[in-house]
Amino acid sequence: MNQRIIYPTDDGGVAIIIPAESIEAAMKDIPEGKPYKIVDVSDIPTDRTFRNAWEYV
Amino acid sequence: MAVIINASTSTGLVQSADTSGVITLQNNGTNAVTITSGNLQFNSGYGSVATAYGCRAWVNFDASSGTPSIRGSGNVSSITDNGTGDFTVNFSNAMPDRNYVVLTEGNWGVGVGAYADPNNIFAPYGQAPTTSAVRIGMRSSSAFFDYAEINVAVFR
Repeated sequence: MNQRIIYPTDDGGVAIIIPAESIEAAMKDIPEGKPYKIVDVSDIPTDRTFRNAWEYV
Repeated sequence: MAVIINASTSTGLVQSADTSGVITLQNNGTNAVTITSGNLQFNSGYGSVATAYGCRAWVNFDASSGTPSIRGSGNVSSITDNGTGDFTVNFSNAMPDRNYVVLTEGNWGVGVGAYADPNNIFAPYGQAPTTSAVRIGMRSSSAFFDYAEINVAVFR
């Protein structure tokens, strides 16, 4: 599973949905009304040191 | 009564049936498994036939390095990475209510040999559980932390 769904959180950060089986099945887990993007896992930083400072752009 | 399938030690297969809609499996005349409408009951060492309460969802994932990844799961559509030590487990099929039990466990990683204090992985975290998801938090000492081995099981 090399895709992720990202959406902005209410506090200005970004949440990342990691699908268990498929992107299609995970789409329901996006909060209603939130903008979102489907990205490749390689587009997400691998260093989580400042994870809470990540932003949705 | 029920539809009964009995494995008799003297006569082999013995069957009987009625219209109750119940299925019973017997070992030499003793009930071992009963299936009623929406309810599975079995003995399996209980000492009597009683309702079995199964694990309704489970997931094993790694949050320690790079982007979190799921090693294995059941009835889980996804996990949501909300931030450091902050994840949501999303169910494929919703629970009947929010009164389920969530068991959590984690450690620093295979070969590291350090296990998380059970009190440092907790659910629900931040918000009440819903029928479709439960949020969990993880800490090491007082700081939120991403463990390498995180196990979550939901019973109902």
